[in-house]
Amino acid sequence: MSGDAATAANATSTTLPRIDAAAGPGDGPGHEPPLMGLGASLSPADARAKTEGTFPYAADLWAEGLLWASVLRSPHPHARILSIDTSAAAAMPGVRAVVTHEDVPGDSNYGRRVVDRPVFASELVRHHGEPIAAVAADHPDTARLAAAAIAVEYEVLEPVTDPEKAFAAEPLHPDGNLIRHIPLRYGDAEATGEIIVEGLYRIGRQDPAPIGAEAGLAVPRPDGGVEIYTASTDPHTDRDLAAACFGLEPDRVKVVVTGVPGATGDREDPGFQIPLGLLALRTGCPVKLAATREESFLGHAHRHPTLLRYRHHADADGRLVKVEAQILLDAGAYADASSESLAAAVAFACGPYVVPHAFIEGWAVRTNNPPSGHVRGEGAMQVCAAYEGQMDKLAARLGIDPAELRLRNALSTGDILPTGQTVTCPAPVAELLRAVRDAPLPALPKDTPEDDWLLPGGPEGAGEPGAVRRGVGYGVGMVHMLGAEGADEVSTATVRVHDGVATVICAAVETGQGFTTLARQVVQEVLGIDEVHVAAVDTDQPPAGPATHGRHTWVSGGAVERAAKMVRTQLLQPLAHKFGMSTELLQIADGKITSYDGVLSTTVMEAMDGKELWATAQCRPHPTEPLDESGQGDAFVGLAFCAVRAVVDVDIELGSIRVVEMAVAQDVGRVLNPAQLAIRIEAGITQGIGAALTENLRTARGLIRHPDLTGYALPTSLDAPDIRIVKLVEERDVVAPFGAKPVSAVPVVTAPAAVASAVRSATGRPVNRLPVRPQAAVVTPKG
Amino acid sequence: MTLPASLDEAVAALEVMPAAVPVAGGTDLMAAVNKGLLRPSGLVGLGRISELRGWHYQDGHALLGAGLTHARMGRPDFAALIPALAASARAAGPPQIRNAGTLGGNIATSAPTGDALPVLAALEAELVVAGPGGARREIPVSHLLAGREMLAPAELIGFVRVPLLHAPQVFLKATGRTGPGRATASVAIVLDPARRGVRCAVGAIAPMPLRPLEAERWIASLIDWDGERGLAPDALAAFGEYVAAACIPDHAPPADGSEAPPLSPAVLHLRRTVAALARRALGRALS
Repeated sequence: MSGDAATAANATSTTLPRIDAAAGPGDGPGHEPPLMGLGASLSPADARAKTEGTFPYAADLWAEGLLWASVLRSPHPHARILSIDTSAAAAMPGVRAVVTHEDVPGDSNYGRRVVDRPVFASELVRHHGEPIAAVAADHPDTARLAAAAIAVEYEVLEPVTDPEKAFAAEPLHPDGNLIRHIPLRYGDAEATGEIIVEGLYRIGRQDPAPIGAEAGLAVPRPDGGVEIYTASTDPHTDRDLAAACFGLEPDRVKVVVTGVPGATGDREDPGFQIPLGLLALRTGCPVKLAATREESFLGHAHRHPTLLRYRHHADADGRLVKVEAQILLDAGAYADASSESLAAAVAFACGPYVVPHAFIEGWAVRTNNPPSGHVRGEGAMQVCAAYEGQMDKLAARLGIDPAELRLRNALSTGDILPTGQTVTCPAPVAELLRAVRDAPLPALPKDTPEDDWLLPGGPEGAGEPGAVRRGVGYGVGMVHMLGAEGADEVSTATVRVHDGVATVICAAVETGQGFTTLARQVVQEVLGIDEVHVAAVDTDQPPAGPATHGRHTWVSGGAVERAAKMVRTQLLQPLAHKFGMSTELLQIADGKITSYDGVLSTTVMEAMDGKELWATAQCRPHPTEPLDESGQGDAFVGLAFCAVRAVVDVDIELGSIRVVEMAVAQDVGRVLNPAQLAIRIEAGITQGIGAALTENLRTARGLIRHPDLTGYALPTSLDAPDIRIVKLVEERDVVAPFGAKPVSAVPVVTAPAAVASAVRSATGRPVNRLPVRPQAAVVTPKG
Repeated sequence: MTLPASLDEAVAALEVMPAAVPVAGGTDLMAAVNKGLLRPSGLVGLGRISELRGWHYQDGHALLGAGLTHARMGRPDFAALIPALAASARAAGPPQIRNAGTLGGNIATSAPTGDALPVLAALEAELVVAGPGGARREIPVSHLLAGREMLAPAELIGFVRVPLLHAPQVFLKATGRTGPGRATASVAIVLDPARRGVRCAVGAIAPMPLRPLEAERWIASLIDWDGERGLAPDALAAFGEYVAAACIPDHAPPADGSEAPPLSPAVLHLRRTVAALARRALGRALS
């Protein structure tokens, strides 16, 4: 939900959000926050339209004479397809085309990261909801009925749904069931600690559950190509995949990015776009698809359900000696982002702590469960819940305060990760932890609480003050920024200035993360121009890469800055020459160019002299390398850290839990937009609370049980606690553009661990499964 | 779609179009239509029938219009009449649902998690069903929910007859989140001082609300109806256990005399939840 929540919240926030006085610079006494440029709380340009409901998303698009698409999906998680008979569907009046695997002219498989996934299942169905066929008809109901009229004969097979059994099971895919295995070895295998704690942790299947379901419009082009209008977060990759499946050159396919109605993972899955484009090419008509909520749950990737076994060794003072872990990721039927998720899970398996010896085995395996993929904080979030559970266990065993135990082991700059990579970026872990520990606790409810105490279970719930216990818990988390293990992270941006107005052209997709606002701020900062527009994204622009891992703040923001600086040089060079000084000694502000001493001055308009200035630049951070066969390597460009203190109320008879407050301290490098930063943290924390308490897409023998927003309970405004940002550490990361770190993922990673820790403290129960089930938070009276 | 202005006109419209489906708030019906589960060939809209949207009094009872929305029932004037029904209406979902969803719709849908249903069961409410030609017949709500009596074609739930007991009533519901959610279990407790009775119904754990009649009679016998009415905590706890065990019994021992298999942890948790809800609800009703 967070992408949407963030967008909606963005739209309404015109004032600064709650950030404690101690928080960031720019908030200090006598330091007015700027109104434009970096550090300003600029509002998104589309805020008003989104608030008023006039902003067009893909589901709102229309074209003359359009047809409607519907996709037939498998009702079985594992089955052999014996026959597909489309004749009844094709004969229905109003049906214009029916396509199956036989009608895919190019590659029959696709995959954003690993090409292992059929556009339409041909012989074998590997998960519930896998596409079998698609229909285009002149009415959405006709399309749906026709899809239902396609007769598919299945031989139902036993599904492999337990990832532990996937190793020995018959291969579910020609690529085999083991997608990746990383045996990380670091230090001395024989090392042991005086104190040993063990734990088994299970993390459920979180869905990105975007508020806007998948939708798109495909329009055939006169040249035999096709244009696809959809909320893609990685348009160039999607274009290339679609073109390969259509058997077309990539330049004949154009992906035009529409408004993105919520994206905390990848969207739109090419499994929606490719059938759509295929139908448009087949019929020669525009074709529209608007997925139902059920199709949305069936058709996109989820967070990896994970099983984790841990053994922590520590000395008597609580200093970690060795961590041993086994991590098993359920990838579902197809590989998707499982390899990267596993790398993150293994690399961060010990958390932001100094660990001299680490032995971590990680596997990602194929099953007949719904496919897992990129959801922000993937891999890192699951291990955070586990290693923080271990830290709580260790603290309890040693009788040390849980925050103190974490402080004794806190990682800092210069320490070495278990992957052998030295932490070169700021890593203020101890400072973050102290900030949340020392923040004042929320007041306890008054003696007559009914009026002003929101009990677990809600305002009309069954909560009883006498049965409610309060708990305080901690979570410290880390996440990598940008693609890892040698991914070529590059973005290209163009800045144009004409007539006192700047335009940014960059294919970085605004997903709610605030890229378009950041791009405006960057240009304002460099060129001093107030009015900046950001062009809509399509694949005719140079690629900017996927909107994941906070990369657009870094690489696309960096590319915009470089392009703007090149324009600045073009603008100032003649003047500098005339004044006889270098361009660095000239300043641009309020439409005026002034020399450093204020003596010489002219207006921007005059300096432009009616000219149009263009510049294009790229940003490519330093390269990384893949983890080797023992899990060693400099795999990450940078790391971000966060500490959270959760305060929860638990009704220990019913097991109902309400998060009262989340105190957050985060390592942000530099605050670029205080309002958006706070919103991103609040959204991330809320998504984390969902993963901790309610969000679990349940399956039974591979079948998704409740693919709707009643069965899949997202946090509501009543479930979202007070989120207090108690500290933003602004230690600039010297290798990052502006020194800023991406901020959205690390709160998602850390919040579930903190909530689980607080429930542990309230109930004394182990809490080793997320989301926390009510029966795990019940305290039974003795006996 | 037709929009009749009276109950009899609506019945007549259903007679003309037997395949048509009556629709009031549409909170369940339209969700089913949008999911493609239901394709009604016609709709008879009940939203314009003003006689169904209020209530009137009759022999110590309230005759509640089937078109009363949850939002209306949640208001204080209604809560003063039938407190448990008002509480269930306030818990029935987010404001958008409460503004549209109706009492009659909650009964007609008969979802196990319908929040009004255990309250109506505890109140022993009767349905006034309108049929062709101005006919009216009464069905106990429990008969309809249990499938003992069904609505005939072209019949509509017109009113719900509920006794006015002038005594405390409590509805409690356990859910998975703090925001609106479906009940995992719910309990309605109604005191009937005139008949010296306690009536209890448990919702959401079975296809229809369950009445633990023995537990009701036992606890009613312990209450000093002419005095303070309070009960010791032990008695309240025992009542909770009694209700829970009655509604979620142990497995029957197998015929060979061996021990019955234990209940699963999830079922045991549900039983504990019902016990806690029943204990709390009775405690609040008697305090």
